[in-house]
Amino acid sequence: MSLWRDLYHGDTHFDFFGSRRRWFAFSGVIIAVSLFALIFLRLDLGVDFRGGTLIEFANPNGVSVSDVRSVVASGVGSARVQEVGGTGIRVQTARLEPAAEDRLVADLAELLGEDPGDATRQSVGPTFGGQVTESAARALIVFLIVIALYMSWRLEWKMAGSALVALGHDLVFTAGIYALVGFEVTPATVIAVLTILGYSLYDTVVVFDKILENVHERGERHTYGAIVNMSMNQVLMRSINTSLTSLLPIGSLLFVGSFLLGATTLREFALALFIGVGTGTYSSIFLAAPLLGIWKEREDHWIKVRRRLERRGVAEDFAPHALAVATAADTVGAVVAASGAAPRPPRKRKKRR
Amino acid sequence: MSRRGALITLTTTLVLVYGLLVLTQLTGTTPRLGLDLQGGFSVVLEAPPGTDAEVLDQAVGIMRRRIEALGEVQEPEISVVGDSTVEVQLPGVTDRDRALAAVGTTGRLEFRPVLDVSPIPGLSPIFVNVDLTDGDGTTTTTTQVFDSTTTTTAASGGTTTTAGTTSTAAATTTTAAPTTTTAAPTTTTSGGTTATTVAGETTTTTAAPVDPKEGVVLPEGVTWCDEVEQPGCVDPKTGLTPDPDPDLEAFLATDFATGGGIVYHTGPARVLGSDLEGAQAQFQGSASGSVTGQWLVVLDFTAEGGDKFTEVTKELASFAVGDPRRQFAIVLDGVVQSAPAVAADVSPATGISGGSAVITLGGSTDQQGEASDLAVVLRYGSLPVAFEQSSVQSVSATLGSDSLRAGLIAGLGGLLLVAVAMILYYRALGLLNVIGLTVFGSLMLVIFSLLGAWQGVTLTLAGVAGIIVAVGITTDSYVVYYERIKEEVHRGRSLRSAIDHAFSRAIRTILTADTVSFASAVLLFFLAIGSVKGFALALLIATICDVLVAVFFTRPAVALLGYTRLGDGGRFSIRGATGLPTEAVE
Repeated sequence: MSLWRDLYHGDTHFDFFGSRRRWFAFSGVIIAVSLFALIFLRLDLGVDFRGGTLIEFANPNGVSVSDVRSVVASGVGSARVQEVGGTGIRVQTARLEPAAEDRLVADLAELLGEDPGDATRQSVGPTFGGQVTESAARALIVFLIVIALYMSWRLEWKMAGSALVALGHDLVFTAGIYALVGFEVTPATVIAVLTILGYSLYDTVVVFDKILENVHERGERHTYGAIVNMSMNQVLMRSINTSLTSLLPIGSLLFVGSFLLGATTLREFALALFIGVGTGTYSSIFLAAPLLGIWKEREDHWIKVRRRLERRGVAEDFAPHALAVATAADTVGAVVAASGAAPRPPRKRKKRR
Repeated sequence: MSRRGALITLTTTLVLVYGLLVLTQLTGTTPRLGLDLQGGFSVVLEAPPGTDAEVLDQAVGIMRRRIEALGEVQEPEISVVGDSTVEVQLPGVTDRDRALAAVGTTGRLEFRPVLDVSPIPGLSPIFVNVDLTDGDGTTTTTTQVFDSTTTTTAASGGTTTTAGTTSTAAATTTTAAPTTTTAAPTTTTSGGTTATTVAGETTTTTAAPVDPKEGVVLPEGVTWCDEVEQPGCVDPKTGLTPDPDPDLEAFLATDFATGGGIVYHTGPARVLGSDLEGAQAQFQGSASGSVTGQWLVVLDFTAEGGDKFTEVTKELASFAVGDPRRQFAIVLDGVVQSAPAVAADVSPATGISGGSAVITLGGSTDQQGEASDLAVVLRYGSLPVAFEQSSVQSVSATLGSDSLRAGLIAGLGGLLLVAVAMILYYRALGLLNVIGLTVFGSLMLVIFSLLGAWQGVTLTLAGVAGIIVAVGITTDSYVVYYERIKEEVHRGRSLRSAIDHAFSRAIRTILTADTVSFASAVLLFFLAIGSVKGFALALLIATICDVLVAVFFTRPAVALLGYTRLGDGGRFSIRGATGLPTEAVE
């Protein structure tokens, strides 16, 4: 059977839990690099956060950035001139007095051959940006508390804990990429990051829900690690499909945003989302679930289960999964499966304890 | 799910959703676009820390009135966010400077001497005592009445200004308010219009349209607005000055919006708001004991302002007590706030000197509010607090429509890609997913249209982004369900049993996951400000729609599909999509 066929049939046998050390190391490196970038390179915050004046014009005649820069430089001191959305010009300066701003807009309009009224302008005081950040941070903290409580109630508190660790990973990674590549952080980015929060948790919840269901159905016939593995193989196709169907519209946003004027916000938004959805899927499979496995395996109950299974010689971290379970009689099916009657026998893994 | 039940649920859902869609679109109810999608202007204003919530509300009320006076704004959105922030959104506004002035500045305060007062409330003095010379050469004095309703104004004009800061206790209150008593019925004629005034009740019979400007002599430098529109021009319909020039005479009313109230003909502004140092409402106990106490507003002028005020009061005091010209109008942004008369004991030789003055209002509790309002107006112009503009943003209409177009293209493109992927992967089920997405889209459109019409909710670019993200979330619900069906079939269930069983398991997962999205959206909505709010709202609505679509569309639709040939035969069927084209041995 080809990999694709296995995937399609939900018949894969990847040992996610067994290879956890490799993935933890990988995640650790990512986090280290991200933190390094955040500390030493810093995020490039947009005017909304640090205050300043932003002027955006369409540039149908293709006036060069350097021409714009010289006009801006004669008007105000230091400024940042960028091309946006293919056919637009964005100028950012320190906050200007209204009169100076009007003058700059008029100068730019003349250079670009546009009507001054067609400018998109923004002028933000230094304190306001702090407030935006503060309100977002407050929203984030309350959000995390509420979600942790909800997941503890609906699932388990250890699941909530693992999910939050995975979430932290996603956030640090996304922020790290922004610092590393030097993308500008705008309100759209913040929105995207908040979406990532929801998305990353959503993804993790689906995996955990499956684990809970499997524990419920087959309880103590497998070690927790085996159940984690089984569950993840079962939801693998869903994770791939979901990531794909989420990334398609986001990719469309990214594409349109990069080639059409007026969609700058869309592009900024899509960029963070693209990174976030990717890392969200990764972290729920390779981080949250194995972490939960390790954590649960330390519980007395699951230690006993493992010992008992070890005595019987069937304590594999890698259990065959659901497909062989017979029609209605799940109980019988599970025993059959565990004794090796699965469509494909499991590979033997070295016991860890 | 039974075949019958599924059919009924599915039909009801489709009829309801598409019916609502057609209904809203036919009645022209479309989503209200935010200013980033149609262009416009937004300001975030910051009040000093510790500002009273009541004061903020008052400021918001004043701003709203001023913005409405701008005229071009369809739906201003002004809201207090947090403790001291006011967010103003003006979609469609193109005149940036005027909009900024309307919300940002504290207003233009002027003291203008009164030249004349309308005898009838709501009627501009410009139309009173018009000299009409008809063909015979005889001159008749006429009164033209254009507003047939007569407003009876509460006598708020009964105010007096007394000199100095001391001995106001004995101040006599001279009522300078215009009286509108017409004892005998008088009939006045003017070029075809017959107006009969009976004891304040006016009936107007219009025989032929008449030019209101006929015979009216405008003050020097003042024009008619329909001829030369410039600051200080007079609107020929109302006889008022919509945009008074401080250096020109003006016709101003106490209630400008309706054109009602008392209308004053005033001279050029003599003292400006900047000449005033402060104003305070105070209660003054009675010294003589015979009268109860009085509410006062104490004015303090700057050195220069004090001199100007002395000069004006000298002139005003030269008119006899009771003459309307003995009063001055306190005008804020073209609306007369109060018109106190100069007290009887002020002599024309000295005027009111000393850099301060007292406006006496009266002793009742009504006058307490009046005094404090007047003090606020005098102190701050109109906004009771000096705001700092912490963020000013204007989006050009071109960029707005470009953004909308880009959002739509991105959305449709994304949908198309998802549709192709789903059909390739899940075949007949994928097709259902595509139909489900149109149901979802219609539902979102209907909800946003209705919210826009009823609640004034706008759809912003962030909201569009939220909806596009929601497409991913909705599709995920299908994926969870479909994967579950596959799994159940692989376990050896019959197709129909798998479909039913899978739903009851999938909906649990969908609900748990949607609750997480829902919670994040709700929290974002209440805690965040600005564009994040629009995004959160879209996500919130989308999450609810997702569950609704799953229960009322996807479930019956898949169940019905299970009964057809697309359920159990061929590569395009549900069974085909599970990868087990033959019936499992049962």
